[in-house]
Amino acid sequence: MDFDDRGIIADLKQENKRDLAFHTLVNKYQERLYWHIRKIVMNHEDADDVLQNTFIKVWRSIDKFREESSLYTWLYRIATNESISFLNANKRRSFMPLNDVNEYLVKNLESDPYFEGDKIQFKLQEAILRLPEKQRLVFNMKYFDEMKYEDMSKVLDTSVGALKASYFHATKKIEEYLKSSD
Amino acid sequence: MDNLRENTPELSKIKKENPFRVPENYFDDFSARLQMKIEAEKKVVPAPKNRIIQMLKPAIGLAASFVLIFMLVYWPLKTFSPKQVAENNDSIVIEEYDNENEYLNLLESIDENSFYALLDEPVKSVEFSDEELMSYINTNISEYEIYLGTDF
Repeated sequence: MDFDDRGIIADLKQENKRDLAFHTLVNKYQERLYWHIRKIVMNHEDADDVLQNTFIKVWRSIDKFREESSLYTWLYRIATNESISFLNANKRRSFMPLNDVNEYLVKNLESDPYFEGDKIQFKLQEAILRLPEKQRLVFNMKYFDEMKYEDMSKVLDTSVGALKASYFHATKKIEEYLKSSD
Repeated sequence: MDNLRENTPELSKIKKENPFRVPENYFDDFSARLQMKIEAEKKVVPAPKNRIIQMLKPAIGLAASFVLIFMLVYWPLKTFSPKQVAENNDSIVIEEYDNENEYLNLLESIDENSFYALLDEPVKSVEFSDEELMSYINTNISEYEIYLGTDF
């Protein structure tokens, strides 16, 4: 945990410094968490909702934060859980069969006015969206965010070995998809 | 990384960049929007408890009046109605007959007034003929009991 985070946590636990410390925390982590969430839910509006919910949850559970875990992995963990809960709630609301979730996310991507990638970038995102949920998370966190397996293990509650295997399978499937749809 | 390039040549061709964008000034405004939500959250926190009590108030009132009616009307009626008292007494008697000291218990089960009334009654001399005695013995006492009661 870096020095700044320790200062933020110490201030968050003091009533008179809490507001300012929380503001610092939001400014420091909002972008990183936003992009993590955006890659899970795809759409900007949804990502905005989930990011707000994430920080509100953080605000509510500051007292539950245990200092042996790092602030960064704790925040990622809450953001990941909020994103997955959001997708599950959507699934329930629209009575979507499991297979159609990925189709729904691809449609979300197609209609997203804030997607500015070229054709090949779109194809890569499509390939990622066709992965099972866990592999998709692992691939995004490793490939784009370049997160260490040890940190990822804390965020996703999964062993490093299992994460490496997930990443291996994910890259293999993406490669196959990119080859097949050329 | 080299390993990745070898195994996934197609993926390696794609430039690693973020293809997504956000509306202008999104991150500048986000903090302020969130702050408003947090302020609202601070005010809302104690409300759920009160709201639940407010919602349950009529139900609690209704439940309390039912309990009161039960305590004042139904329960005394049920407990002190003559039929119920009689049933209660019967059950006591039945239980007590099972007891070894049935005589004593029988005396106890007679209420005080009737006990004194019995004492005040003039003692009548009981007279009966030999035939009456014999027929009483024949009908109520077995030969075995007579045998047991006879002193040799």
